[in-house]
Parts: sequence; C-alpha cells; structure tokens
Amino acid sequence: MSKKVLVVDDDPDVRSFVVTVLEENGYDPLVAKDGVEGLQMIQAESPDLVILDVLMPRGSGIRLYRKLQTDKALKAVPVIMFTGIALKSFLRSQKVLAEFQGEKVPEPDIYLEKPVEPEELAEAIEKKIG
Amino acid sequence: MEIKKLLFVTKFEDLCFDAMNSLLSLTRASLEHVVFLNVIERDKVAMHRGEGYLTDEVVKLKEIANIRFIDWAETLFEMGLEVGAYMEVGSLIPQIIKAIDQEKPDLIVIGRSHKGPLEQLYSRSDVVELMRRSSIPVLVFKHMAEDNIVPESPFKTPLLATNWSAASLKAAEYLKGMKNVVEKVHLMHVTNEKKLKGSSSHAVQKIRKEERKKLDELCQEFESSGIDARAHIYIGDPDKEIEKAAREYQASIVVLGSSEKASIMDRWAASVTKTIADKSIFPCLLVPHDKKGLSDQQP
Repeated sequence: MSKKVLVVDDDPDVRSFVVTVLEENGYDPLVAKDGVEGLQMIQAESPDLVILDVLMPRGSGIRLYRKLQTDKALKAVPVIMFTGIALKSFLRSQKVLAEFQGEKVPEPDIYLEKPVEPEELAEAIEKKIG
Repeated sequence: MEIKKLLFVTKFEDLCFDAMNSLLSLTRASLEHVVFLNVIERDKVAMHRGEGYLTDEVVKLKEIANIRFIDWAETLFEMGLEVGAYMEVGSLIPQIIKAIDQEKPDLIVIGRSHKGPLEQLYSRSDVVELMRRSSIPVLVFKHMAEDNIVPESPFKTPLLATNWSAASLKAAEYLKGMKNVVEKVHLMHVTNEKKLKGSSSHAVQKIRKEERKKLDELCQEFESSGIDARAHIYIGDPDKEIEKAAREYQASIVVLGSSEKASIMDRWAASVTKTIADKSIFPCLLVPHDKKGLSDQQP
C-alpha cells in the first residue's frame, strides 16, 4: 500500500506541483489549503508525511509545526517544511514562541525554500519516509 | 472588547509596512494575529469583452503581492505574531467580506477610498459599503498630511467624538479595552447650532452643562479603566468641529461610532462618518453598531 502524504499549502499551483511529484513517485497525495484544514486532516487521516507551507490563511505553518511537535499524539508525524519564508525567520519565530509558551520544539530537519526542482523534492521525501 | 486579530487590506500604493508597523503597539493590548489581504481588481486583469482573465497578469500580480507579504510576514513571525495572507482577484468589498467570514478579525485596516466623487455617488465609498455590510470596526489609515508621515502610534491620543448613539458607546467600550496602548483620550460632543437658535444665554449654557455632565461621566468611566480622559464641547457642524478638535488636541486618530441611519443616508447626503473617513487628514476608527449576519447579505 502506498504511503499517504499530506500537502498543506494555500497556493493551488504549489499543491498541484507537489501532488504531481508525489504521484510520479508512487505516493498517495492528500491536500489541505490552510492550517486549520491541515490539522483536521492530520488527525483524521494519520498521514505518513506532512509537507507544510508557512504563510497561509487560517493558521500558519509555524503554529501547526509547533502543534505537531508538542502534541503527544501527533509528535511522530514526519514533517518537511516547504515555504517561501526564510529558515532564519522560522527559527526566530519558534524561539520567541518557546519563550512565551515555555516549551522548545526541535528544528525541522528538512526545510525547503520555494521554489525547488521536482527531483529535489522527491529526494527529500524519500529521505524522510523512504 | 479586545483586538486579537486584525485584517490589513492593502493595495500597496495606499498602505505599506510602515502603516502596519505603527499598529504593532496593539501587541501591548492583545494583538496576536495579523492577516494580510491584497485584492487584484477585476478590471486590472480582465480580457476584452468579458472573456475571462489575463492569466499571466494574474500570476504576476499575485506573485508581486506574495513577495511583499512574505517580507512583511517574516518580520511579524519573528516577533512571535501569527500571520496569514490572501491574494485574491475580484471586487474589493466582497473579497474583504469573504476574508472576514474566514478569519473573524476584530479590526479591519484599510486605506482611504480611491473612488472619485461621481463613482462614490453611485456606488458608495468603499469604507461606507464595508461599514454597511460588516459589524467589525474599520480603521481608515491615512498618512498624515502631504509629507506622508505615518503616525507613530495611532492609538496613543485618540479623539472620540460621541453623539450618544449605541454605536458611539460601543466605540467608547472599544477604546476602554486598550488601556496599555491609549495614553490619553479626548472625548468630544458637537452640539448642533440649530439646537441653540433663539435660545437665551442661560438656555445655551444649560445645554452645554448637560452635555458636559454626560461627557464627564464618560471621562470617569475611562479613568476607572486606567485611561486619562478629557471632555470637550463644540458647537457647530460636526464634520468641521471634529476636524478642528483633532487638530487642537493633536489627536493621533479620530474615533466615531457609525449608525445604520448614517449608512443608509450616505448615498444621498454625506454622513459625518463618510466625510471624516474620506476627507479628514487624521486616521479614523469607525465603529459600527451591532448587527447580525449582515456579512452574508448581498448588496
């Protein structure tokens, strides 16, 4: 059975690009268009991987990443960040949130800044979930 | 009433990051979430004879907006704020209403209306139309005077003009919730000159005393909320007197309640809200009266 990969991104062109890469590489793609829908789908579908944008309506990828890393039930879900927001800003924001909320979260081990070539994305997915 | 989430509507030529930056003092109250909205007006990207959109132009304009928003968002994310963004093609007000339904903001920030007088006569100004269709307060942001200076902290010394309507009182409640942001509030009431015609000086002073007493009570309420407040009575045309008071007391913003009647009347007679929103040099916070489900209604 192919592995389920959830793409959370508000841009339909990006969703379509990632879905094509996933299908061509034998994965089963799922899509969500914002942070709220993304969380609902993670809880409902238990995907094998989440490819997560940052700047989105109704809940950013920064908060959703934090939620995934701090929620016991969701902690095990692997995440690839895929965004136009610079890694430096992402890390600073997580640092500030950790100061407010008193809980540090691990840095994402794969952080891809848009745009990327299909091969680069496919390689990152394979590295993460095989 | 707290401002936790604001919707910042920009066409980039009217509102830029300096305006957003000046609103960050609201984080000292309760601001934690900023949502950007850029609407690409249909006529900018429409093909001839209504044959759809110029796809390449839409992609280009959306990407230009996206690049700006990413830049702005990085700064806000680094401050620990939550940020979202929409880039939509369509008509301004319906797209704002759609974003309101999605995001449920506590404040909408918008630039001054760019419609010409004739266009406004037939289609209302953007701000008045927004006030008619939503019950969320609207901040009409303006660069002060011709030199494009952004007020450093728009909520520092507001001037609240009250006519004692329910909307005015709602506006007062709104300001009371900002004690960490508002330093001093000037409360004013404009008595219409017509009310004084034929009156003796005793009668005029009696009117002044009555209004002053009401304003002093409101001052007391502000002071109980931890905000310094001063009362002022003006006589004459509300549009002119509000502007005059804002200048005299160096207000950072003019705050008004906006009644349903003012919105309905607007097409035919300029309401105070509309005149101040469109013509004043000061940023204006317009607080509509409560109404339910209006954002779902069609114009």
